[in-house]
Amino acid sequence: MGKTVLIVDDSASLRQVVSIALKGAGYDVLEGCDGKDALTKLEGQKVHLIISDVNMPNMDGISFVKEVKKLPNYKFTPIIMLTTESQEAKKQEGQAAGAKAWVVKPFKPEQMLTAVSKLILP
Amino acid sequence: MQIDVQTVGAAGRVRIAGEMTIYSASDLKPKLLGALADCRELEISAAEVTEMDTAGVQLLLLAKQEAARAGKTLRLAAPSPAVQDVLACYRLAADLDSPRTGRAEPASEPITTRPGA
Amino acid sequence: MDLDPAVQTFAAESRELLGNMEEALLRLEADSGEKDDINAVFRAAHTIKGSAGLFGFDGIVSFTHKVEHLLDRLRDGAMGLDADCVALLLACCDHIGALIEDAVSGRPLSAELAATWRVLHEKLEGYLGPSAKPQPQAGASEAAPLPAGQPQEPNSAAADWHISLRFGREVLRNGMDPLAFLRYLATVGDIVHLTTITDALPHAEEMDPEACYLGFEISLKSQADKAAIESVFEFVREDCAIRILPPRSKLSEYIALIEELPENTMRLGDILVKSGALTQAELDRSLRQQTAEAAQAPASVADGAPPRPLGEILVQEGRVAQSVVHAALDKQQQVREHKAQENRFIRVEADKLDQLINLVGELVIAGAGTHLLAQRAGLGDVLESASTLSRLLEEVRNNALGLRMVQIGATFQKFQRVVRDVSRDLGKDIELVITGGDTELDKSVVEQIGDPLMHLVRNAMDHGIEPHDVRLAAGKPARARLMLHAYHDSGSIVIEVSDDGGGLKRDKILKKARERGLVGEGQSLTDAEVHRLIFEPGFSTADQVSNLSGRGVGMDVVKRNIEALRGTVELTSRESVGTTVRIRLPLTLAIIDGFLVGVGPARYVIPLEMVLECVELSPAERQACMGEGYVNLRGQVLPYLRVRALFDLQGQAGSRESIVVVQYGGRKIGLVVDTLHGEFQTVIKPLGPLFRRLRGFSGFTILGTGEVALILDVPGLIQTVATKDAHGGSSAAHAVAASAGVGSDAA
Repeated sequence: MGKTVLIVDDSASLRQVVSIALKGAGYDVLEGCDGKDALTKLEGQKVHLIISDVNMPNMDGISFVKEVKKLPNYKFTPIIMLTTESQEAKKQEGQAAGAKAWVVKPFKPEQMLTAVSKLILP
Repeated sequence: MQIDVQTVGAAGRVRIAGEMTIYSASDLKPKLLGALADCRELEISAAEVTEMDTAGVQLLLLAKQEAARAGKTLRLAAPSPAVQDVLACYRLAADLDSPRTGRAEPASEPITTRPGA
Repeated sequence: MDLDPAVQTFAAESRELLGNMEEALLRLEADSGEKDDINAVFRAAHTIKGSAGLFGFDGIVSFTHKVEHLLDRLRDGAMGLDADCVALLLACCDHIGALIEDAVSGRPLSAELAATWRVLHEKLEGYLGPSAKPQPQAGASEAAPLPAGQPQEPNSAAADWHISLRFGREVLRNGMDPLAFLRYLATVGDIVHLTTITDALPHAEEMDPEACYLGFEISLKSQADKAAIESVFEFVREDCAIRILPPRSKLSEYIALIEELPENTMRLGDILVKSGALTQAELDRSLRQQTAEAAQAPASVADGAPPRPLGEILVQEGRVAQSVVHAALDKQQQVREHKAQENRFIRVEADKLDQLINLVGELVIAGAGTHLLAQRAGLGDVLESASTLSRLLEEVRNNALGLRMVQIGATFQKFQRVVRDVSRDLGKDIELVITGGDTELDKSVVEQIGDPLMHLVRNAMDHGIEPHDVRLAAGKPARARLMLHAYHDSGSIVIEVSDDGGGLKRDKILKKARERGLVGEGQSLTDAEVHRLIFEPGFSTADQVSNLSGRGVGMDVVKRNIEALRGTVELTSRESVGTTVRIRLPLTLAIIDGFLVGVGPARYVIPLEMVLECVELSPAERQACMGEGYVNLRGQVLPYLRVRALFDLQGQAGSRESIVVVQYGGRKIGLVVDTLHGEFQTVIKPLGPLFRRLRGFSGFTILGTGEVALILDVPGLIQTVATKDAHGGSSAAHAVAASAGVGSDAA
């Protein structure tokens, strides 16, 4: 049974690369371009892990994480935050909201795969 | 997650189907402990468990601990591949499959052990 | 991992981001910028950096990182933004664009780019100063936070590590399942021995089913180094007591470990012995030696989170100052508002759209065929349903074409930067005024109009607009105006590039033309004809060639490019008042509404938007205007062409002929044909290379019956008539406008 990962970022190329990397390793991948879009993607799906950027239009990463933590079906789902070395405050804020894992941008596809596989296997 | 409890005399049987994860743990805990309280020996049938995580294992460990404390017998029967996988990873197959109470078991009761993969 | 498709996405995305960046910078420079703009610039740089890193474009990452750092300073208000700084950022923006184009096409860094890089880098350093030094050179060092699972510095051989884990209560609720980490650990090495410690599990009633109570003692055979093993538990570092003992650790270290752990010392000792880390003898001896200390070891911490090293806590708390969090929140808010509207669009590959439009085109043809058949067969109800179908097809066609329509505004906006840069270089004060930016036209047209427009704009600034002092002397405002204007006009889009400069100097042009032998001595020309001369190949009146517009591309190339788009270009100019170049382009290149006419067995399509009216030629009129010439149309002179004669068709005209009056670019002519077949939707198919030199046709189409019909190139035909008249020594346009009597000017 393939595990499903939802990647949320406003950069289409970033989503595409992450998607290629994870699919290659056997994960199923869903994409969302911002927090709001991602919430609709979660509906009626079973998603095992969420990767979310911090800075996004419509609904930013922190608010998104807070919303996810309110969903009965997703409140315990692992979340990886995409941060940068200059966003230490954001990282802390994300962790406080419940996104305990993080990957620092810019990252290589292999690094993302490593981070994901620490949390769930395909 | 679905749980059926059958009690025939002193022997109870709990059949758990679906997910045994953190999402169902709060629901499962009282049902499992309730079933254990109502009988002297309990068999947990886990053949239909599709997914298990650490919260699920902890409930089995808790039930085991409570059974030992009350001098009851608890057996895990026919674990599904998902359950076997977790038990193998935690090297708990032996602990959960066979009774490990301080008292001697009556000889007439054969112990069904199904070692995890 | 094949990332090729994503590289294309990256290229397109970056181009758009750089465009936004440039616009925002220009707004900032013009002082109309707000805090949002600096955020937009920052975010664009940030996104590009993030994506470039994914593809391993480390050069882009490290350069963009520097830029981002400067932007960060600006954003925090640590630095003010001045004109030089904007200029530097604009140059950086260009440089990033060039780096991306290079990287995407797989070229190595060119010497030219490397030189620019050094210059910009130095300037950035100048702004950032020595305090920027601790900033990591991205790319290399940023790979460090997440080492791959594979051993990086293999030890000589796999050896036994001892790992002791006590998970915090909250890990499960945070989605961090110990199971996952253990499974991942198994990819770093071989888990030789594992004992699950359940001592912390409380009594049933106190047990929280969502909390974690487990601990593990693990011996791992692995070649990985300590950092790699530690990184496995990176995400639970703060929620888990982790102790890692390297292979062949000192005995005292094992003992210290046992003492630190909350569980029963004897049991842990047993576990270590079982896992092979210690021998029983070693354990016994050590325990005896340290009995006193062992007694003081933490008795039991069954509940509450496992102890965390103080250093870790301090580091964690030291890193988050409350004010930083608030500042970050504010920024987040601004970013959110600014980007709210960007998501109403989806990005579709242009090829897919072309494919759709092609299909719709075929559908339109097939629909017309059905309609025709129904008509011939005289089947009323089929005809009715075919009509409904046609109507729907027309809507689908319009919608499909609408998908390709984009506003010209974005293309116009690009010139803000050009005008700014060029006027600065020239030392002229020029303001760009854009109107009609919301006028829509076909995307493929937009793509190809950029170069000609660029040339016209540069030309206007370089040659059209006078130097500062000349303007003042002429009593004009010092600040010159350059205008880009777009509007729709009878099925075409018209783009005007105008300036309030010196205008074309008639004498100068004539002199040059005579030197070149383009115009004979003594030949007199109208203003329009003189203006048309500058579209002649290699014609330039500039006294000196500047490096701006004198790029070896003349107005003739502009004209050729526009004609290739089925467009026309004309120029009006008044000396010392200004010049306007008017480009007229078709709205779309794919489908037109056509008017089907016949000459003998041949069928021709005339674009409907150019058809004014159809008039039947009476035998008397036919008699009156034999040969090519003019016809009297309600008292106006109308030059006409006989299609039969024009294309040298066999056969005689029937008893009746019609004249189709067409108009383009303000000129009218008549086309004489045998039969009129009415309106007809047509997909334009380009003529093959073999027929490219044919004049008078702009393409062909396939009729519902399967016949081929050629599409008449009306602008070309009008041009033919005009040229013919010009040779006759007089301008046809003038003759028509003068409403002269029929045939008075006929050659």
